[in-house]
Amino acid sequence: MTTEKKAEKKPEYIKVEIARPRAYKWSSGKYLGKLYKEALENRKLVTNRCPKCKQLLWPPAGVCGRCNVEAGEDWVVMSGEGTVLQYTYLVFPLWDPHYGDRLANPYPTATIKLDDGVFLVHFLEEKDPEKLKNVKRVQAVWKEEGRGRGLGDILYFRTIDE
Amino acid sequence: MAERVGIVAVAQTKYSPNRADANEGELVYEAVKQVLQETGLKFAQDGTGIDATVTCSQDFWDGRTISSCNVMSYVGHHHSDEDKVAEDSLNAVYTAFARILSGHQDVVLVATHCKESQGDKRGIENAAMDPIFLRVLGLDFLSAAALQARRYMYKYGITPYQCARVVVKNRGNAKRNPFAQEPLDLTVEDVLGSQVLASPIRRLDAKPTSDGACAMILATERKAKKLCQKPIWIEGVSNCYETHYLGDRDLAECDALVKAAKKAYKMADITDARKQVNVAEISEEYSYQELLWMEGLGLCGRGEAGKIIDSGMTQLGGQLPVNPSGGMLSGNPTVVAGMTRIAEGVLQLRGEAGERQVTGAKRALAHGFTGVCGQLQGVMILGKA
Repeated sequence: MTTEKKAEKKPEYIKVEIARPRAYKWSSGKYLGKLYKEALENRKLVTNRCPKCKQLLWPPAGVCGRCNVEAGEDWVVMSGEGTVLQYTYLVFPLWDPHYGDRLANPYPTATIKLDDGVFLVHFLEEKDPEKLKNVKRVQAVWKEEGRGRGLGDILYFRTIDE
Repeated sequence: MAERVGIVAVAQTKYSPNRADANEGELVYEAVKQVLQETGLKFAQDGTGIDATVTCSQDFWDGRTISSCNVMSYVGHHHSDEDKVAEDSLNAVYTAFARILSGHQDVVLVATHCKESQGDKRGIENAAMDPIFLRVLGLDFLSAAALQARRYMYKYGITPYQCARVVVKNRGNAKRNPFAQEPLDLTVEDVLGSQVLASPIRRLDAKPTSDGACAMILATERKAKKLCQKPIWIEGVSNCYETHYLGDRDLAECDALVKAAKKAYKMADITDARKQVNVAEISEEYSYQELLWMEGLGLCGRGEAGKIIDSGMTQLGGQLPVNPSGGMLSGNPTVVAGMTRIAEGVLQLRGEAGERQVTGAKRALAHGFTGVCGQLQGVMILGKA
């Protein structure tokens, strides 16, 4: 008796690709719009303060979500300096989904607590994995080109020696 | 028996073709702020204020997943109980109603927004189609609606003149509604002379692009009576889905709407809607829809809606005014439309509808739909007694 095995034929699965993105024109609104404007025109990070809890909102908005009160126009220009809380070292390429630019690869992404109190996720300039371990104090470096993108107007955060 | 559920406050933004000045959160807050001020309620998790929020928005219109994140801080979502309903906002009110009937929550805020100006309408509507079976045909809601209009008009002998009369009526009614986007003095000839978009639908047979928001607060009977002088009660509500594939349907019929209406009427103890409903707000993105949906709702017999519009019965001052607000045709965003219809019904029953007031209205019908050719149909009956 022979036990001849027939070569298994794999079924073909057809995949359908629909790649075209959809276009949007978002309104930044009164509050986030001011962040965009100040970043573009003055290279400054701004946000507004809640009149009740006195904390900074982030991003700026018309209502404080913690207190459910209108936040108003108490605007603060932040220093752009802060402390790294945690980071990750990305080795795969990411794309800026709105503009199609390829982000630098590899690049470290970090949670930064700005001295003014808000928490921000952004990139670090330092790419050496060993040196990254010791990065604490950082400062925003603004882009020269391709501006008008809010937080995207900051290129990355540079290590400050203290 | 469970307590009744009342609507204690409603607010709308003025509808606008392009609110470039406001993002989604700022827009919805314009309506939310009014209902908070009117009731004096605050967000609370201890039973002393608003227990939960239900929002309604659509990811594709907002251009992001979890579109409720766009409005979080503006609707009290911070560390709170929240729920998002997509599709038409009448279903968000249905969800809030069910939450209250559960017995666990007494007061629920419902808020909806849509900025049609921000997205690619045809692309977004095309994305509602099965992605790899139907999208390749390029259908959007307009082209599908044109197929439905043609089929309905052929089968039941509805004329383009009759559809145009819907536009003339609704755009005219809008002149009496301060929230309406584009009131117009039109003639049937103006409508029939406007550009063909997808035959038989012409530019004035279609609603304009619209941005806007609506908010309301629902409460148990006990709390509703404390919170406002004139609570309006949800007497019946239901929804029903059609099949998605257009080829499975006779587009001249609207079986899902017939079923939704039947269930809502039963819940509200309505045996003859034509006599027991005093005012109807019906969502109509295209003129033929007001006629077809009227038939589906049983407000007239099949094929009779053409004669009804000719008779003037659905005008303000007629026996059964339909869309005294001006409807969607006068400018009202998709998604928001169902709640606009409810809000208008509430204003009518409170006697606060200003120049568009239907005298002595005791019971109102609000209708909302979403999807291709009215795929999801929702019906709500409101009463003042």
